[in-house]
Amino acid sequence: MAAAGGGDRPGEKGVERVTYKWLSYTLGVHVNQAKQMLYDYVERKRKENSGAQLHVTYLVAGNLIQNGHVCHKVAVVREDQLEAMKSKLATIASVHVYSIQKALLKDSGPLYNTDYDIVKTNLHNCSKFSAIQCAAAVPRTPAEVSEPQTSVQAGSQTPSDTNAARVPVVNGHGPSTSKQTSQQPRGIMGMFAAKAASKPQDTNKETKAEAKEAPGVSAVSSKPPAKANIMNNFFGKAAMNKLKATSVPEQPKEKKEVVKPSVPVAEPESSPNTVVEKPGKKTESSRIQQKDKKSKMKRVDKSDNEEEREPENLKKKRKRIKQLVSDSSEEEADVPPSPTPEEEKAPSPPPVPALKTELEPASTEVSAGGRKRKRKRVLKSKMFIDEEEGCMVTEKVYESESCTDSEDDFAKAKPPPAHKQPAPPVKKEPKEERKNLKKGAATANRANKQVSIMGFFQKK
Amino acid sequence: MFSAQAAPAAQALLTPPSAEASTFARVLVSGYADQSQPFLLGERSFSRQYAHIYAARLVEMRPVLEERAREKWGTDVVVRKLCELRVGEKCCVVGTLFKAMQLQPSILQEISEEHNLVPQPPLPKYIHPSDELILEDELQRIKLEGAIEVQRLVTGTVFAVYGSEQDDGKFLVEDHCFANLPRPLPWKGPTSDRFVLLASGLGLGSGSGESLLSTQLLVDVVTGQLGAEGEQSCAAQIARVILAGNLLSENTQSRDTINKAKYLTKKTQAASVEAVKMLDEILLQLCTSVPVDVMPGEFDPTNYTLPQQPLHRCMLPLSSVYSTLRLVTNPYQADVDGVRFLGTSGQNVSDIFKYSSMDDYLEILEWTLLAGHISPTAPDTLGCYPFYKSDPFILTTCPHVYFCGNAPRFQSKLLKGEAGQRVLLVTVPAFSTTQTACLVNLRDLSCQPISFSGFGAEDDD
Repeated sequence: MAAAGGGDRPGEKGVERVTYKWLSYTLGVHVNQAKQMLYDYVERKRKENSGAQLHVTYLVAGNLIQNGHVCHKVAVVREDQLEAMKSKLATIASVHVYSIQKALLKDSGPLYNTDYDIVKTNLHNCSKFSAIQCAAAVPRTPAEVSEPQTSVQAGSQTPSDTNAARVPVVNGHGPSTSKQTSQQPRGIMGMFAAKAASKPQDTNKETKAEAKEAPGVSAVSSKPPAKANIMNNFFGKAAMNKLKATSVPEQPKEKKEVVKPSVPVAEPESSPNTVVEKPGKKTESSRIQQKDKKSKMKRVDKSDNEEEREPENLKKKRKRIKQLVSDSSEEEADVPPSPTPEEEKAPSPPPVPALKTELEPASTEVSAGGRKRKRKRVLKSKMFIDEEEGCMVTEKVYESESCTDSEDDFAKAKPPPAHKQPAPPVKKEPKEERKNLKKGAATANRANKQVSIMGFFQKK
Repeated sequence: MFSAQAAPAAQALLTPPSAEASTFARVLVSGYADQSQPFLLGERSFSRQYAHIYAARLVEMRPVLEERAREKWGTDVVVRKLCELRVGEKCCVVGTLFKAMQLQPSILQEISEEHNLVPQPPLPKYIHPSDELILEDELQRIKLEGAIEVQRLVTGTVFAVYGSEQDDGKFLVEDHCFANLPRPLPWKGPTSDRFVLLASGLGLGSGSGESLLSTQLLVDVVTGQLGAEGEQSCAAQIARVILAGNLLSENTQSRDTINKAKYLTKKTQAASVEAVKMLDEILLQLCTSVPVDVMPGEFDPTNYTLPQQPLHRCMLPLSSVYSTLRLVTNPYQADVDGVRFLGTSGQNVSDIFKYSSMDDYLEILEWTLLAGHISPTAPDTLGCYPFYKSDPFILTTCPHVYFCGNAPRFQSKLLKGEAGQRVLLVTVPAFSTTQTACLVNLRDLSCQPISFSGFGAEDDD
C-alpha cells in the first residue's frame, strides 16, 4: 500500500515513524530536502484522502519574550499544537516538518529514539547531510594523534587505542612505525604492547631494539590476523602464530641480530614455512641462544601453534619451531644470548634433538608423572578479553585435561632449562605421544599454558 | 539577535523538494588562543601546606589594593601593616579576610571523639548571625567590626579596610574597598555577527530521558540540521561551543564502590561509563561541525580540586580524533576571535553562595570580578591545589566574557568599568534542568538564551 505508493520513498510507510533525519540518512539527501520531501508526502497523502491517518510533528523556532529578555526557542510540537506555538512566538525563524508517524505520539520520546538509532549507525559521517559544513573538522592523522603519546609509558596504553599501542612500544620510531604498523593489524603491535605490559622493562627494552626491525617488517606482507583486536593484543595467539609462521621464513637470518617485531606480519602459513625450513632451523638454533626466561610466552605460543595446526603435524612442528624461535628472538631483542651458552651446543646435532633437549625437563617431568593420559579436572585461571567491556577478565575454571599436558605446560613457567643434554632417542616416542596430548589439551585452555618447546619437536 | 533575519524564509521548507539545498560553511575562527596555561598542572605535589597560596595571594594583590585605597581615600592615606597599628589612628590595612563561621563543616570536629558529633548534614547555606570577620595579614590578625557586612563576605578575600584600632583590640571599620575590575584588555572583536554557544550541565547518565531530546535538538541546531535555511545560515555563524562542566549527571557518582564490598561491585560497571559513551557520541556529532571546548565540572571524571584538569582523551575515542575537540581545564581562559573568555563550571560561585548571604548567581559572579579573584573561598571550603609561588585565580586582566556554568537560571549583564572595561557576565544555566543554553554574540557582547523543548503528555505548548 503505502510501500508501493510512495514512489521516491519506497517502503517509507513500512516503518512506524519517519523523522527528517532518518529520511536524510536513509536516502542520502540533504536534510532540507528530506524535510521538504516529508512535507510533500504529507500533502499528497492528505489530498489523496487514502484513509491512512498521518500524524505530523513540526519543528518551530523563533524568538520569544520571556522574563524581559528575548529568548530563542526551538521546539518540536505536534500538529495540533503548531498554531498555538506559532502564536506564542514574537518572530518565527523556521517551521518545518520534523517527523511523520502513523500513531499519535503522546510525547517526543520515540522521536528521540528514532533519531538516536539512525545517528548511531551513521556516526562516521554524521554531518554529511547537514546544512553546515565545517572545514576545520578534519580527523587527525594517526601520526598526529600518536605524537603526544610518545612520552607516555608503554604499559599505560590501552591496546584498543591502536596508535597508542604502537608508539610506546616502538619508541623513537613514531611516525614511520605507525605508518608501517598501520598497514599491519593493530593486534600485532598491541600484542607487543601486551607483551610489554606482561614483561616489564625487558620487553620495553626489547621492543626498542626491535624498533630497528621496522624496515624488515614492512617487507613482509601483512595479512591481518584472524582477530585483529584486543584479543590479539594480549594473547594474540592466533595472530602470533600466523605472524610467527610467516615472519620466520621470511627473515631467518636477519632476525638473528636485528630483533624486530616480526610478529606484526601475518603471512599465509603453509608453504613458505616448509620451504624455508632449513635456514629457519639454523636460525632457530641461533635464536635458541637468545632464548631467555621468556620461554613462558613462547610456550604459550607453542600451545597455540599446536592448536592451529592440528592437521599438519610435521609442518606444524616445523613452523612452530621457527615461530617459537623467532618469537623468542623478537621478544628478547637485546637480551644477550650469553645466558644460555648451553644452547649453543645444540646447533651441531640436528636441531630437533637440540630443541628436544630443552624440552628435556618437561619430558622428564612428564615421564615422571607417568605416561598416563589421565584426564583430570584442574583448576585453572582463564584469562580472556571481554570485548564489550574492553577489559581482561581472569576466571578460575575447572578444566578437564590430560595431566601430562598440565604438568608440562605449567611447569614451564620458569625459564627454559639451561642445560641441554641430548635426549636419548628412546624418549622420543613418549614425548611425541605427550605432544599429541598436549596439543589436544592445549586447545582447551589457551591463556596461561606454558608449552614446553620440546613439544614442537616431538611430533616428527 | 540570533536568526532574526531568518524570519522571512521561515516557512520555506514547507514546500515540495527543491532542486538543490544550500549548504553553509561554518565561520572559521582565525583568532583562537588558549590562555589557560596557568590552570594546567604538571607535576603535582601535595606535600605542602596551604599557607603558601594565601601568602602568594596577599603579596600579589597588596599593591593593587594599596593603589585602590589611595584612589578611594586620598593619596595621603596611611597604609599600615597590622603589626604597626596604633590605637586610634585612622589608617588603611590590607589583608586577607577570614570569616569564623559556627556552622562551617569542620572535619576535626566531626572526628573528635570527645564531642561525639553526628556529621552535619549538608545545608544550603552555612551562614549564621554569630559569624565574625577577622583580617589577617602576613604576621597578625585582628577582628573587624563596624560598617562591614559580615554575612556578605567570604573567607579568602583580599581587601583593604579603612578605620582605626580600638582599645579592645578590635578594628573599627569605616569603609572598605576591593581590588575592583582589573585592567582592561584591548578590544579586537569581530565586526560581523559571530556567536559562541555556552552550555553546561548536560547531565548525561542521569537515568531520566527528559533532556535527551533537548540535547539532541541543541546538537542539531548547532550542526545545522534543524531549522529552515535562515536559521541554518545563522547557526553557521556559531564559531565555537563551550561546554562548561557537569557533562555527566550527579547520578553517575555512585558511591557504591566505596561503601560496598569489592566482591559485590566487581562486575558492576560504573554508571559513568555509559554516560561517557553517550557524551562521546554527542561530542562526535558536534566536533564534525564546530570547534568544541569541553570543561570538566563537579561530577565529571577528573580531579576534584581546582583547577580541574582536562578530561582525558582516552575516554572519548570517537571524538578526540577530531582536532576541533579541545579538552580544557576548569577554570578556562581563551581568546576567541579577539574576545577574551574566562569562566568556570560554577563550583566557585556555588561555594560562595553557600558561605555568604548573596543569593543571586549573577551578583556573586560580579562580586568575584570586583574582588579580583575567581574563587576566594579556595582552599578554605573549596578544594584547591596547594600552589606555592603563585595564585592563578587572581584576576590580572579583565576578560570580555566572564561566565560560570551550572547556574540555576540564565542571567546576563554587561558590566562597564571606569577604566573602559566592558565585561559580559553570563550565568549559564544547567541544561539538564532548564534545557537552555546561551548564545553570545562576539560583535556586540550581547547574550541570548536559546531553549529547546519537545512535547509531552502534560505539555500545553
